[in-house]
This record gives sequence, C-alpha cells and structure tokens, in this order.
Amino acid sequence: MHVSRPSLRKRVASSSAGRTVSFFTKIFLSGIAAVAIVALIIELLTGGLSPNCKSNPLDPLCIPGYAVRTLTRMTIAYAFALGFALTYGIATAMSHRASHVLLPLLDIFQSVPVLGVVPVVFLIILGTGSNPPVFNQEVASIILIFTAMAWAPTFGVIAGINAIPTDIKEAAHAYGMHGARYLRQIVLPAVFPELVWSSILAWGGGWYLIPVEEHLSFGQPPNQTQVDLPGIGRFIALAALKADLGLALFGLIVLVGIILAIDRLIWKPLGVRAEKYKYETVAAPRTTATRQSSVVAGVRRYEDRLVSPVLTFFKSERSYAARVLEITRLKRIRHITERLRFPERIGRIPLWGRILSYAIFVGLVILGLIVTIMSRSQSIESGISLLATDVTAFELIAITLLSLSRLVIAYVIALSWTLGAGILIARSQRLSRLLVPIFDIGQSIPATALFPLVVILLVDPFKNSPYLGFTLNLASVLLILTGMQWYLLFNIVGAVNGVPNDILEATAAYRVRGRRFVKEILIPASFPAILIGSIQAWGGGWNALIVSESIGANVSVPGLGSFLVQASSREPALGAVEIYASLLVMTATVLIINRLVWRRLLRKADRYKFEA
Amino acid sequence: MSQTSEPILQIKDIAKIYPGEGKSTTVLDHISFDVYKEFLCIVGPSGCGKSTLLRIIDGLDKPTSGQVLFHGQAITSPSPKVGVIFQTFALIPWKTVLGNVLMAISSASIQKEEQLKIAQKYIQDVGLEGFESSYPKELSGGMKQRVGIARALALQPEVLLMDEPFSSLDALTAENLRREVVDIWRDPAYPTGSVIMVTHNVQEAVEMADRVIVLSARPAKIVDDVKIDLERPRSPRDPVLYDLADRIISKIS
Repeated sequence: MHVSRPSLRKRVASSSAGRTVSFFTKIFLSGIAAVAIVALIIELLTGGLSPNCKSNPLDPLCIPGYAVRTLTRMTIAYAFALGFALTYGIATAMSHRASHVLLPLLDIFQSVPVLGVVPVVFLIILGTGSNPPVFNQEVASIILIFTAMAWAPTFGVIAGINAIPTDIKEAAHAYGMHGARYLRQIVLPAVFPELVWSSILAWGGGWYLIPVEEHLSFGQPPNQTQVDLPGIGRFIALAALKADLGLALFGLIVLVGIILAIDRLIWKPLGVRAEKYKYETVAAPRTTATRQSSVVAGVRRYEDRLVSPVLTFFKSERSYAARVLEITRLKRIRHITERLRFPERIGRIPLWGRILSYAIFVGLVILGLIVTIMSRSQSIESGISLLATDVTAFELIAITLLSLSRLVIAYVIALSWTLGAGILIARSQRLSRLLVPIFDIGQSIPATALFPLVVILLVDPFKNSPYLGFTLNLASVLLILTGMQWYLLFNIVGAVNGVPNDILEATAAYRVRGRRFVKEILIPASFPAILIGSIQAWGGGWNALIVSESIGANVSVPGLGSFLVQASSREPALGAVEIYASLLVMTATVLIINRLVWRRLLRKADRYKFEA
Repeated sequence: MSQTSEPILQIKDIAKIYPGEGKSTTVLDHISFDVYKEFLCIVGPSGCGKSTLLRIIDGLDKPTSGQVLFHGQAITSPSPKVGVIFQTFALIPWKTVLGNVLMAISSASIQKEEQLKIAQKYIQDVGLEGFESSYPKELSGGMKQRVGIARALALQPEVLLMDEPFSSLDALTAENLRREVVDIWRDPAYPTGSVIMVTHNVQEAVEMADRVIVLSARPAKIVDDVKIDLERPRSPRDPVLYDLADRIISKIS
C-alpha cells in the first residue's frame, strides 16, 4: 500500500496533467506570437498597406498585408471563441444546476443560421451611416467570425469533461485534488483532444465566412451600409466582381496556402498530441481496428472537407482510390459532430431550465432590438406598430411555410439521389472512380457561384412569361439543393463504407447479397449517418435559403429569406423589427424541427449503430 | 472420425501473399492438409495468418495460389453447407435474435414458415428460448455468441468454421460454451461432421480437438500435426492435456 500510493499519484498527475496545460498555453501563445511577428515583419517590409493598396486594392503586392489582416481577425475571433468555450463549457459541465439553463441555451444559439445573424450584427455595430468607422467594421467582422467559431469548441469542452471516467474522478478526489488544481490537472487535459478537433471545425466555419464578411453591402443605395476591409476575402470578392479569373484564382491559392500552412504547423502536431490525452476505453476488436486511420490523416481529412472544399479541387494528382478512402474517413467527422451537437444530457433538462433558456434567448433578442432602435433614435412602439400594420403574424407564418416547403422539396430530392448514389459509390469500385471526382468538383463550387447560371437559364428567358413564378421557385429549390446535398452524400458514403468487416464477412458467409444486402444491411447501416447528414444539410439549407429566395433586384419569391433581405432596405425602425422577427421565427422553426423530427429519430438510431 | 474414408475438405498448397510497395508479405506458405469427419483445431502465434486461412477455406478470401476442395469441388465463394462463427460475433445490431438467425437461412429455398421453425429450434438448442425478440445490445457476450452458434447451426452445415469463438468471452462463460459446442458436435442429431476451429489458446485446442495443426509464425507453415486420442467427455483440468499443450507451445516458440 505504501509503495503503490505515491506511484499512483505520480501516474495520475504526470500522465495527464501539467504538461498539457503548459504545452497548451505554449502552443497558443507561440501561435499568437508567430502571427504577430510575421505580421510585424511583413508590415515593416511592405511599409504597411501602402496608399497604393487603397487606390488599387487588386495589386498582388498587397496580398501579404491582406493575409496578415485576415489571419489576425481570425486569430482574435478564435481567441474569443476559445475563451468563451472554456468559460461556458466548464461552467456548464461543472455545475449541474447551471447546466440546466446553459446547455439548452447553447443549443438555441447554435441553431441560429449564421448568415441570418449578419444583418443583426450590421444593425447593432454599424448603424445606418453609409460610411461606418473602420474600427466598427473590424469589430463587426470579428463578431461574425466569432459566431461561426464559438459553438463547436464549447460543445467540445462539455463533451471532454463529460468523458472523464468515473475512476479518474474518484482517484482525483481521493488524492485531494480540488478547485484550481482539479481544473488544471484533470479538466484541461481531458478537454484538450475535443478542443483540438472542434477548433478545426471552428476554423472551418471561420474560413467559410472570410470571402463573405470582408466585402459586404447591406441595404439599398440610399441607406446602404458598406463593409470594406482589406483582406484576402475582399481580394477574391473584388476580383470576382471584376470577373478577373486570374486574380481570383491567385487569391484563392494564397488562401488555400494559408489554410494548408496552419494545418501543417498547428493542427497536425496538435492532433497527434491530442491522441495521447484520450482516455483508453476497452481495446477495440481487431476487425474494426484495421479500419482506423491515424490521427494525422484524420486531421487532414477533416480539414479537407470542412475548411476548404477548394482544396480537394487542387488535388487532382491524387489517385481516385485515395479519394474514395478520403471520403470514407468522413466517418470520423460524423461521430464528432454527432457528439458535439447532441450531448446526451440535453434530453434530460428539467422544464424550468428549458423555459428559462428560451426566456433568456428571447430577452437577448428583445434587448438587441431595443439597442438597435435606440441607436437609430426611433421609438420601439413605432417599429412594432409599423410591423403590426405592415406584416401580420399570419403573413410571417405563411412565408415560413413557403420557405419550409422549398426546404422539404429540396431535401426529398437530395435524399433520394444521394442515397442511390452513395450506395452505388460504395458498392462499385468502377462507378466510384467515375463519380467521386465529379462529386468532388461539384461540392467545391459554392452555391453562389451558380447564381449567374441560374439567372441565365431560369430567370431571364421567362421575364415576361406567366411561368416566371414557377421557374423562380425552381431556381430557389435548386440553389437550396446545392447547399444540402453534399452533406447527405458524404455522410452516406462514409456510413456505407464504415460497415465493420466482421458484419460484411458474416453477410457474405451467409450469402446475403444483392437487393437483400442493400435493404437489410446497407440502408439500416446508413440510418444514423442519414440523420446526421440531414441535420447538417438542413443547416446548410437554411443558410442557402437566405440567399436563394432573393435571386436579384425585384426577382424574388416570397419566403423568410427574401423577407429578411427586403427588411434590410426598409424604413429603419420597421426594418429592424422585421429582421429580429424573422430571425426569431427562423430559429424557432429550426428548433422545432430539431425537437420534433431529428432528435426523436436520433434516439431510435441507437439501434443502428455498430458496437465499438 | 475414421480417416480411411474420403476427406470432406482438402486444403491444397494454399499460399497467400499480400503485394506491397517494394516487398510483398507472405502470410501463408504453401499449406496442405485434409479434413475428415473430425474436430480440427488450428493453433499458431497471433498474427500468423490462421484467420486468413479460415477465410480462404470458407471462400471469403482468395488464396494467391492453391485451392480448397469440398467433396472434390473447388470452393470459390461461401457455400450453404458451411457455417461460420466469428470472434466478434458479427451480429446485425438492428436485427433481433430471431432475425439474425433467420438471416443465415433466408437465402435458401425454404418456405417462410419452415425457416421460422428451424430458426426457433436452434435458438432453443443454444438455450436462448425467450430471447427471440431481444436485440444483440441487450445480450451478454456469452449470449451473443450463442446467437452466433445458432445462426451457424440453422444452416445445418456439414462443416463448421470457428474463428477464435471464445476469446471475446470471460473464462467461465467460455468454459461452459466450449463444452456445449463439443456436445452439440457429438450429438448425432446434428449433421455437422467437421469442425475447424482457429485459436491461439493451445489449452483450449487440446481440450476440444481430435487433431491439432500447429502453424509457425509468419510466414505460416505447418510445423506439427498432433492427434489427440483422448476419451470424451474430457475434463479441462486433465493433467494429460497440460502435457500435450506444453509440447505444442514448445513447438510454436
């Protein structure tokens, strides 16, 4: 006994504690320091953003300065996101009572479509002036990136703390670890792996916004507010506006280069490191072990899909087989997002917690509304009365249903073709060789890039025809489809490829083949993946909805998305009320669908999961 | 058990080579043996290719050279006369016990009602009566393997292949199940003549088998072929078994 005690203490302390924390802070601080130093050097070399870059923003020589600025914005937003995640996550996981409110509130926050937040942030930070101060623009841009980054790491922290095994907790308790020591030696190391994975997700979300948030206009010309911040995103946006393919590609390559460099220098080593801090569960059976890939590969793949769909576009030299494999490893992403989005506890929140969390959310929205309207020196009553006369509640419900029906139609189309294609890809090597590159290119084209094509094909020829309404709706559904289908496809392919070897051998040994194999094995095996893919697809669909219903000036179909876009060009007080109202309705709809459909189905999906 | 009759299975000069970049790995190095109406165990150090050999015998895997003959016919794909039991049980999580057992026989041209009767009979035989509508997740490891056994027996196979069937189970459960499997095999009511079991547990092999084939480390070659002529039922704690096991272990290491 006397011998074993100190050695056990040592094991608990050294295997999972001090080193991570110092390593963790070291990495983070050195990351920031590196960015700062590089920024400083480049600024010194180029003499800051020269006046030339202001008058001629497409000068390729300005690129280093742009890169530094974009990266700095990302890093600042990430630092805030990390701070938020750790505070919120630890508070949620450590206090049972607080978690009753914090957990559902977090769930509400992450259900708000990110693109729907854009007008709100604009309204609050930038006001109505046509030329807002640069500092406010920077703040608005960082807040936007933050909203895209914050949720995944927060769920990561909670999942990490929840995953601490009871015996470790008991051991820590037995050796008198409390408070700050417990936090440093047990909680932070436990959180580390999840935080690395979810940070990759967070940066992916951030990169997704970069081409959007640095060059944005909001509202119609008389009241137009313009965000115009020097950065890589604006460079690409401006080049695309000028239809200069060469410069746009140049900007894209630089962006990809930065993403790759961050991946190599930070995420890869961190991912390898993170694996050491995972608590061992029961040794995996051999059959599944053969299918596991190394963390390094996992991190890269992860990033490929989420951070930069563009990346895959540039990897044409890779063999097709490698690409197929790449997709199958999406399995990993699926499991992680699943864990992040649906912590088990969320189903066991008491009623008061739920009500309180909704109340807090609605309170925040109302607070935002008051701040917005006050800053525009308008009275709230006038805004609300304007809303009441202009838009009835009935109308809001009607346009919500219209939007919803578009989403449902797009979803049904997406699900039926991806299920067929996913099974074909997974079943036939030859077909996968043919189809995967096509899909790969397809998914790397952002939905907005298809706009001109859609206008040329479906809008312009029908300008004066009675079918315009139909073609506009068709265009909208098609654009939503582009935002939905890839999530489903890649999740399904991943699931079909992820059927464990022993199950495949058993079905082969008992001669379950052809149709029976598809019906009895493949489709049930993809059921959980279809659900996860559906949740992601609906998230993508809501984002696409906001842009797809308003295809151009005076060319829109009635729905929540076009309502939101039109609201921004209305009389300020009414516009603000409408924006908040539609944001509330949108969030409520997302939440209701999650509760009524996905969460219920997910509970059933448990049976369709293979045992680890 | 008489070896004068025709062999049921003939393993002829099986080699398995995995091509790699630069150098290829030889897993099975020209292995030949005949299988009669007997309980045959294949033992060898872990990773030597025992399981690969078993998969080739069932037609789940293709040998690089050589062939497997079943009553003189070459096996190229799984046969309905061969049942397989897996180390990891390989049960379909969304099928009930009954569904998992039915899976084995529903590709045969038997009437639905008859299939149900057969499945129920074997579920009873392995002692799972009353668990027909349970899902694998609700069962203990031992019970899951009983489902695996019922599924194999429901085929009424002539040959039963077992890949480390007891190594995922706790010691006590494994001991009981070993005895039951031997009893089932000895019961004349079952048509199964040959059992081939792959294991790295030498003690288990000498306790159950009529004959033990000993494989060397990779690339696997047959280093010994030991007949175990002991009375059945055997006691797992019989000192003779320990001597036999010691002799085999010294051959492997």
